[in-house]
Amino acid sequence: MIVVHDLVHRYRPDASPALDGVTLQIERGSLFGLLGPNGAGKTTLISLVAGLLAAQLGRITIDGQPLADFRSTQPNAIALVPQDYAFYPMLTVAENLAFFAGVQGLARSLQTERCAAAIHFARLEGVARQLAGELSGGLRRRLNLAIGLLGDPALLLLDEPTVGVDPQSRHFLLDAIRDLGEAGKTVIYTSHYMDEVEALCDRVAIIDHGKVLVQGRLTDVLRDEAPALTLRLDRALPSTLADDWAVRYPGFAHTRDSIRLHPFVAEALPGLLAELQAADCQPRALSFGTQNLEEVFMRLTRRSLRD
Amino acid sequence: MNTLIRLAALWRKETLALLRDRHGLAALFLMPAIFILVMSLALRDAFVPGMPADLGYAIVDIDRSEASQALEQQLAGIDVLREFGVLESESVAREAVASGRIAFVLVIPQGFAAQMASTRSATADPGPTLRMLADPTVPLAVRNGFRQQVEAEVTRLQLTGLLGRIGRSLMIPELHELASNAPPPQVLTEAVRGTGVGDEAGNATPQALPSSVQQNVPAWLIFSMFFVVVPISAVFIAERQHGTLQRLATQQVSFGLILAGKLLPFFVVNQVQAVVMVLVGQHLVPLAGGEALVLPASAASLFALWLMAAAVSLAAVAWALLIASVARTSEQATVIGGVGNILMGAIGGIMVPKFVMPATMQPLTQISPMAWALDGFHRVMLRDGVATDILPPAIALVSFALAALGVAILLNRRALRATR
Repeated sequence: MIVVHDLVHRYRPDASPALDGVTLQIERGSLFGLLGPNGAGKTTLISLVAGLLAAQLGRITIDGQPLADFRSTQPNAIALVPQDYAFYPMLTVAENLAFFAGVQGLARSLQTERCAAAIHFARLEGVARQLAGELSGGLRRRLNLAIGLLGDPALLLLDEPTVGVDPQSRHFLLDAIRDLGEAGKTVIYTSHYMDEVEALCDRVAIIDHGKVLVQGRLTDVLRDEAPALTLRLDRALPSTLADDWAVRYPGFAHTRDSIRLHPFVAEALPGLLAELQAADCQPRALSFGTQNLEEVFMRLTRRSLRD
Repeated sequence: MNTLIRLAALWRKETLALLRDRHGLAALFLMPAIFILVMSLALRDAFVPGMPADLGYAIVDIDRSEASQALEQQLAGIDVLREFGVLESESVAREAVASGRIAFVLVIPQGFAAQMASTRSATADPGPTLRMLADPTVPLAVRNGFRQQVEAEVTRLQLTGLLGRIGRSLMIPELHELASNAPPPQVLTEAVRGTGVGDEAGNATPQALPSSVQQNVPAWLIFSMFFVVVPISAVFIAERQHGTLQRLATQQVSFGLILAGKLLPFFVVNQVQAVVMVLVGQHLVPLAGGEALVLPASAASLFALWLMAAAVSLAAVAWALLIASVARTSEQATVIGGVGNILMGAIGGIMVPKFVMPATMQPLTQISPMAWALDGFHRVMLRDGVATDILPPAIALVSFALAALGVAILLNRRALRATR
């Protein structure tokens, strides 16, 4: 069990906190989705769990051990797969893997074994001798992931691992990550793609402005206790209307071309439609009563994940 | 064992990265080789041995006689040499010559006046002999010129004395005896090689005039050694920008280990550069019609040469890491590092030899680490210096390296903190 307790982190003493009392519980072997808009505190949280930053207030324990103790006794048990291509473009795929296996201090025979396993896992056999800088985006993502697996980590921190890849590679990566979960590894997964998180993760947390807005099992988070209305529009919602509705309707949220009311009051619908028509906006689709992760996110943060 | 495996991986990575960096390799090997070849030939005539304007001499007058003072006055009339006056002892004179402050010292021995007045045969009694302590880096022609000038003045003194005596006694037989038996003026020349180089003020500036190849080989070698800034910063900045340093920190690779991983491969590269550039000076330059570089023969001097190369390498790699830490992009690093190197080279006597700079500008060269490096190489190459002789410039370079590394570590303190 990974326990993050009341974590506070500021990058400067006079700055507002990047993390403001974050508390999370992540079960071993779970695929944990960490969601939040840019600047929400996801990277700071991941950096703290990875040991890149030292906790200023609060604590992190893994299986009851303080993080520092856990890292010193099991130096390769936590692996970070950053969003960037954190490898060397001037080295081949095989050379990159050998390097990252080497800097983990693995014995020569174990290096060879782990590199072969990583190449096999990420289906990189055909490009093992190719320079990493010449790989396609999808293959680079696979290599990035494969490097993270060299230490056979118990906890894998994946930061936007599917950004900028083609659908085929994306499916491959999602399947691979699912396999890791089934193999008993704990995965903390951050992504802008809500559908990925819904399809992959069994537990999620949404953070914004350094605070956890909701966390728990995905099914619990998605359970909608009150009906909601979502309208997709044929054009962008005028900002004057958006500002007006934000005041008039509690639980109003919107993206560029959709609005959401939660809870939804049926009597309000005719008025809304009339105002939209007056603003030359036409509804394209309407859904009622169900919500997906994106809608939960919008309801909680009052903004889109990409804002 | 674990650390060695990690270091080996880091060294291998840096080596592979460098071997695939054609531009970096060209900057490290091709550029200086071309510079050495072209500049050694182009400036060959500018380095023809001649008498520098600030060449000077001093006198140690042990005899303290009328004759010795008369000789001093005669020599003072030589316009082309600066007169440094009378030194108190021969040991002081030796130190002054060894440090390069004074090109010649004429030692007037006890009994010089008596010898001037003597009419005995030189073969019967050679008497005390004038000695000239000379800086070995002063061209032989200049040394001979000074010696002949001294001999001429001594002859003039003798004749003057003789004519005085003739005037007093009008004894013709004495004149005849002198003409046949007087000891010919003789000045024994001794080259005083560099030991204990450096003066109390700590600003030893040997007046050694290198030949074209002696100037250009070490100069462009130093310049190119500092160009490790290009490959080092390219990889280091990419590591920082792409999250590779973060990844390494997660894998508990300390920042110190990362620095060590960069220091050794580029130290080796710098040493290979030194060997290659010396070979260019020894073999390629003469093939093109220039003078061949000759290294000191003694093992102690060769060891001192290697020590200098090691000190320069340490300074160059530390400088590169500092630039890589300051710059945000590899383009910035290339510009800052490149311009910095050119400025250090221009100020430090790499591009324009220090001795052709105006006297007012020469002290400025000492602000450039490249000048310290060139000074160290010249102490060995021109004066057969040994390890103790190159200590001042070597210590300065190592201090510079430590300071640069310290600042680089401070600038990367976040990465350091991450490794805890």
